[in-house]
Amino acid sequence: MDPSLAIKQYIVREFLPDIAPEELDDDYDLVDNGVVNSLSLLPIINWLADRYDIPIDDVDISMNDFLSVAAIRRFVSRTARERVPALSEN
Amino acid sequence: MGRSRSLLACLVERARVRPDSVALVMGDERVTYAGLHAMAVAGAGRLAALGLPAGRAVAVRAVKSPRTVASIMACLLAGRPFLLPSAELGEHALEELLARAGCAALLDDDELRELGPHGDAGPGERGHEDVSFMLTTSGSTGVPKIVPLPAAAVDRFTDWAIDRFGLGPGTAVLNYAPLSFDLCLLDVWATLKAGGTVVAVDAARASDGRYLAGLIEAENVAVVQSVPMMYRLLADACRDRPLRGVRHVLMTGDKVSARLLDELPALFPAARLYNVYGCTETNDSFLYEVTGGERSLPIGRPLPGVEALVVDEDGTVLDGPATGELLVRTPFQAAGYLGREGGFGGGRFRSGDVVHRAEDGVFTLVGRNDFQVKVRGTRVNLAEVEHLLLAHEAAVDAAVVGVPDDLAGVRIHAVVRRTAPGALNSLALRDYCRARLPRAAIPTTIQVVDDPLPVTPTGKPDRQTILRNLRNRS
Repeated sequence: MDPSLAIKQYIVREFLPDIAPEELDDDYDLVDNGVVNSLSLLPIINWLADRYDIPIDDVDISMNDFLSVAAIRRFVSRTARERVPALSEN
Repeated sequence: MGRSRSLLACLVERARVRPDSVALVMGDERVTYAGLHAMAVAGAGRLAALGLPAGRAVAVRAVKSPRTVASIMACLLAGRPFLLPSAELGEHALEELLARAGCAALLDDDELRELGPHGDAGPGERGHEDVSFMLTTSGSTGVPKIVPLPAAAVDRFTDWAIDRFGLGPGTAVLNYAPLSFDLCLLDVWATLKAGGTVVAVDAARASDGRYLAGLIEAENVAVVQSVPMMYRLLADACRDRPLRGVRHVLMTGDKVSARLLDELPALFPAARLYNVYGCTETNDSFLYEVTGGERSLPIGRPLPGVEALVVDEDGTVLDGPATGELLVRTPFQAAGYLGREGGFGGGRFRSGDVVHRAEDGVFTLVGRNDFQVKVRGTRVNLAEVEHLLLAHEAAVDAAVVGVPDDLAGVRIHAVVRRTAPGALNSLALRDYCRARLPRAAIPTTIQVVDDPLPVTPTGKPDRQTILRNLRNRS
């Protein structure tokens, strides 16, 4: 599955239950809008690490990586140990 | 208490006597006292070039950076009152706040922006003399209340803190809170006054326990002040890895759980542990030193010079062992809110906190009124969030509840009934909240519904039922 869609499905399921994944724009500001905060970051990081095999102990993590779906996707493509299919597109 | 020393005079003196010692560690930057002084002098020069009327306030947006600290020092040098708006404040709320404080210019990290002329007078022209810091209450209204602190009150407070926690040249003190918080009067300003080193936590990594522990160890931090949440993060990150260099641990702003209390002595084997009670209006007013074996922490006894009264519902002052609302007057406080007549009644601030005073004079916090909660250490009034949601054109009804949360303290859940299906969704409500609320007050979860909300027999939103429904769903 396209990582952006998987990320949206996760965010919507966990934090925005009334929203359909396609309603969430790639650039919607997740931090300013209070969807993601310093504490909800941990479960998101754990989910990403699990799903995309990211070595979180060796990766620098910044709030800036979670500003939007697009930013999270960039974070995944930068840090995922296994190349994720479809990640290099667009 | 003897005559207090001027914060500004001490800062200038530090730059002269110990120019090369490190004042600030922020991210990759290490700024010496000479460096900080030079930045501040340059900033004061830029301010002077604006030619603002004497006594007119300016604002320094509290982004956590050395420039912000230097800008604050520039305001001190220029003798101007300055407002410290939170860096997280929405744009509408910021604009309104600046206008209400009568700010003539905004210093935003590296940028100095002159604001249009408007009629609001400076604090000095409104009966608040010699104001330096103007802090805002962390209340969740779109526009927080402004607390103008007299320079002398800040001088007295920083002297107390230096003396009480043994701050001196070279003492490294952790700064966890944003620069707009009153806590910074201790961990930033008392530290700099004493010639110590402020070790600032990067706001983006404030919930990363291993980063926090690494910073404390690498910079030899001796004094730590924070809401309990940070100690929870540290305790989880530092199993069997005690932080031996820390001498004083100040817990403030929230209840400390019994479990955390048990873990702290092993985490900080060389430290004295304290519970500190205070608020923006009065600054710190109570201190309790942990002796070991407590199941819950009292707030302790009033600090020297602090008057503390316990009153019943009619305002009658109670003597001896008693439970009631706490009224305090401190040597560190504001006279009242900016722009509100009369100041705090009789100079005493009504805390809104219910306390119990025991036979031995030790105070314990019993609770707050129902609508006040703490989210990640920031005070939020749930009723005010509810009012704001109700004011949305597509909202028919709204209820906001605080859900107890291990880490955040409380997380906010909102239920909003919309005018029609499709008229509103949670993304639109978040956009709406973002422009009007500090970030901590934006509900963590927003449920948009089409059915009427549960109500109590008196017709008020039934928050207990909403909470119960929420628990049953998850």
